[in-house]
Amino acid sequence: MTDAVAILANGVVYGSIYGLVAIGMTLIYGTLRILDMSQGSMVMVGGYVGWWALATHGVNAVLALVAAFVFTFALGTATELVSVQPLIARRNEVDFELVTFITTFAVAIFLTNVALQHFGPFQQNVPTIVSGNLKLYHGVSISYHELTMAVISVVLMIGLGLFLARTRWGLAVRAVAQDLDAARSLAVPVTRLYPLTMGLASALAGVGGVFLGALYFASPTAGDLPLLFALIVVVLGGLGSLTGTLYAAYLVGMTQSFCEVEIGTTWTLPILYGAILAILVFRPYGLKGSPSEARL
Amino acid sequence: MLEARGITKLYGGLQAVAGVSFSVAPGEVLGIAGPNGAGKTTLFDTITGHTIATDGEILLAGEPVRGTKIHHRCRLGLARTFQHPVAADTLTVLENAYLAASFRRGRSGRRSRPDDIAAGRAALERVGLEGKAGVPAALLPIYDRKRLMIATALATDPLVLLLDEPFGGLSLGEIDETMGLIGRIRDSGVAIVCIEHVMRALVALADRVLVMHHGAEIFVGTPAEMLRDARVVEVYLGAGGGGSA
Repeated sequence: MTDAVAILANGVVYGSIYGLVAIGMTLIYGTLRILDMSQGSMVMVGGYVGWWALATHGVNAVLALVAAFVFTFALGTATELVSVQPLIARRNEVDFELVTFITTFAVAIFLTNVALQHFGPFQQNVPTIVSGNLKLYHGVSISYHELTMAVISVVLMIGLGLFLARTRWGLAVRAVAQDLDAARSLAVPVTRLYPLTMGLASALAGVGGVFLGALYFASPTAGDLPLLFALIVVVLGGLGSLTGTLYAAYLVGMTQSFCEVEIGTTWTLPILYGAILAILVFRPYGLKGSPSEARL
Repeated sequence: MLEARGITKLYGGLQAVAGVSFSVAPGEVLGIAGPNGAGKTTLFDTITGHTIATDGEILLAGEPVRGTKIHHRCRLGLARTFQHPVAADTLTVLENAYLAASFRRGRSGRRSRPDDIAAGRAALERVGLEGKAGVPAALLPIYDRKRLMIATALATDPLVLLLDEPFGGLSLGEIDETMGLIGRIRDSGVAIVCIEHVMRALVALADRVLVMHHGAEIFVGTPAEMLRDARVVEVYLGAGGGGSA
């Protein structure tokens, strides 16, 4: 029973944060057909913004999260303008998915090295957003920081859902995900929609980075592991499927939590990659993915 | 309202469109006919900006637009439908229309969600789809999808409407209803260019017809003249005369 509570609690926490980082990748892939490899770097940058705001300037937690959101939104927008925008007009001439995979990967390498140059190869401690622990059951406890992280992740994901369901820009994102040319004929300004989408996805990862920075550290390579997990989640969920991504995020979170409690942390990644292999063999489009269009 | 001069589109050495010129006035229907592969849809693509014409001039309400973006032309009052009925499938009928209306010509910058929804609903009423406002577009039968595509085009409040085979795949009764619909859109003062193979509809609706063959225009005139034109009969309509319905 104690184990079960621990697995469940940690699983929800992990699942929420993976969902937050991965849902951005899904959004970008579903809309723009880009497997955005810079998403992990946004987690890293978010961690540094959190460190800069909380540890070196002592601002309050809400401001730090807002700062991370705004900064990574701008950075994601800039990433789109540099690595994707020039390719949109030529998307029928080049292999758009492959080339943008490489260009966004280049941005990720660039950002990692900028961080390395500027901050050095050190791990910086990021203070937790909230201190203290919530006792759950017979010695099982969960920190308020993790709880806040889970809650804010869920709130942001719900916010994203409302944005996509209720606003004209959200509807435009979904329309573009299904038929780019048709959406463009309805006067949807795609050249503004692409940066908006990538900025939004990056901002979600950036907020996640502040939380993850306190769990681990802010460092130039802090985005690598989140990117790895986000990739597992989006492949598992079916690239481009938002609901599939949510299921997959909590499935991966629970699996990781189960491995840590029952088997040992070293087995987490082998088990997850084994699951991915099996899913790709038997369900090539993931849990909720569909072969081509109509995903969002 | 829309004027095209010497539109040419080259794909490598292939002339998909070879120096086609036409103009269309408010309240007028220009028909475009010709065998498959004649370059009719490519001509539409150059007008809307889905592909950029290699040469020629496009004037939309007096403004040259040949190299401009699709959404810019749409904001100036150019809307189109496609041969295959496309819509955002996971959005409802009303959401599709609302989305189109929210980027319509002349919309003021301030937030006006109720206005946009009302405009979208009005467009649905014009095509007779108001009863299916809450249905996801993916569930619509083909006739409804075609009407939805016309409704979203209307929701952008166009001055010029390009219709790519609006009658294709429809039953006889649906063709009649669609002819009535297009007639009403024309009467509201929209300039219409319509690619069509269904001769009955084209002859009834078009004020003038432009016939294309191998990318070039081979005939411009009234529908009655077209049916008698030796060249058009030879390359397109066939010796049976009048073509198929």
